[in-house]
Amino acid sequence: MRLEKCYFCSSTVYPGHGINFVRNDCKIFRFCRSKCHKSFKKKRNPRKVKWTKAFRKSSGKELTVDPALEFEKRRNVPVKYDRKLWKETVNAMKKVEEIKIRRQNQHIINRLKKGKELRKADDFREVEKNLSLIRAPGAPSRKMLEKKMVQVIKEEDDEEMEEI
Amino acid sequence: MGKPSASKKKPTRVKKQSTVYRTRRKTKDIDQIHEDMKPGTAAKLLSQEVDLDLPGSGQFYCLHCAKHFISEEALKKHFRGKPHKKRLKELQDEPYTQAEADRAAGMGNYKAPGKVKVTTQDVKEKMDTVDVEEKSL
Repeated sequence: MRLEKCYFCSSTVYPGHGINFVRNDCKIFRFCRSKCHKSFKKKRNPRKVKWTKAFRKSSGKELTVDPALEFEKRRNVPVKYDRKLWKETVNAMKKVEEIKIRRQNQHIINRLKKGKELRKADDFREVEKNLSLIRAPGAPSRKMLEKKMVQVIKEEDDEEMEEI
Repeated sequence: MGKPSASKKKPTRVKKQSTVYRTRRKTKDIDQIHEDMKPGTAAKLLSQEVDLDLPGSGQFYCLHCAKHFISEEALKKHFRGKPHKKRLKELQDEPYTQAEADRAAGMGNYKAPGKVKVTTQDVKEKMDTVDVEEKSL
């Protein structure tokens, strides 16, 4: 038996759930629940509704291109029952799922790194903008202080020279 | 978001959702309009036969909004309006399909939708009006 995917949110439609809509041009639309069916009736674009898989994929929130995603597919090739093949397939499915989850998690971690960088840059900018809150406006800057230090040292040197 | 922005004016009478979204009242979907926009069907829809049951006898049809208007003036006014421009923008992306839903669900790699060039149909000056002018001259 085939488990179809919901037209709107891309979740699996299990037997006994959801509703089918057949348009007057014979196109079939499957929905997993009334929420998806209602959204379709309202002519919402699944790519623009934030809770759908299509949105998360099209806006780069989830892993889109990866060889691990190529295993689960509609193949339309009848396969004769073979116990050994069946066993191997089930084992492979577990392994593939494990790899897929690991890669998807890594993708999310990489995606969130960018935000960290941006936040740090933002903090630096804020400090630079509001420096007057940290240091009094009349206070000498570091460069001025350095110049003064140099002058004092020079004067001391001169005095020492005179003593000699 | 897909939700339409709230207008400043309050609607005079709020219709029930269940009546507005009845299957009987169903208007064309975006992917059907993409089909309509193909040159062959587009030409057919833009030069329809006179049907007295339709608004404007079916002579003033907006291809992108799938709507009949009563006169050329009304059609031109519609082209200048917000709903039509919004619709053109909506049509710029390739239509969403079940195949895309499957790919988004993890069955194969996800491909971003391509762009489609959409421009408002040009309005042909009706030959009848020209004839009338000539006759009057």
